[in-house]
Amino acid sequence: MSASAEFKSGLLAAIPNLRAFAVSLTHNTDRADDLVQETLMKAWDKHDSFQPGTNQKAWLFTILRNEFYSQMRKHGREVQDSDGIMTAKLAVHPSQQGKLDLADFRTALKQLPEDQREAIILIGASGFSYEEAAEICGCAVGTIKSRVSRARTRLQELLDVSGEADFGPDSIATQVLSTNN
Amino acid sequence: MTNDQERRPASGNGRKQASADIIGANSEIGRKLRQYYDEIVSEEVPDRFAQLLKDLDQAENTRDSK
Repeated sequence: MSASAEFKSGLLAAIPNLRAFAVSLTHNTDRADDLVQETLMKAWDKHDSFQPGTNQKAWLFTILRNEFYSQMRKHGREVQDSDGIMTAKLAVHPSQQGKLDLADFRTALKQLPEDQREAIILIGASGFSYEEAAEICGCAVGTIKSRVSRARTRLQELLDVSGEADFGPDSIATQVLSTNN
Repeated sequence: MTNDQERRPASGNGRKQASADIIGANSEIGRKLRQYYDEIVSEEVPDRFAQLLKDLDQAENTRDSK
């Protein structure tokens, strides 16, 4: 059976998101685009196994993720395991007080173990629910939650920012103080 | 297509609020995360992908008409 028009337009519509997820996994636009290409070809080949009406974006993310890890294994790259990783303090200094530079953020994101990075991206940026992210990563919902939580804590450490007070009273107080001077 | 755009949760209001409890939707980390991601999402899609889908389509048509 040929792929339906709806399936095809779903593929097309998912490309920007697939690229963003792929870049976050590979840190490299060329590798990311190759990964997306593989994903589209695989998805096309197995369109019969996609159930219309279910979440096509999540289905595609699952294919992309599987492809990424199978390539990693093929090339003998070690898949980082967050439990065993050394906690190295990264030299990232927020360029201005309370303002994070995007480049600094990228550097910090790279330092995260793969499992934590993908979890925080899927939940915090791709817009998936915990259930969907768990499905994509093939793990329990609780595992995703704890990975996201650890990722956030780690990013806060690396970037030297706190949680909710980032643009709260502190920055206002500083402004007031400097005006008074 | 418009429908797909609207359904795509990666930008704006469609984003699930569930993330707020752990990441902190308005925290610096939460905002940077979306900025990082949305920057890539909004990039122009390379031509190779449209071409790839066209090729796959064509290969399928050729096969089906045999």
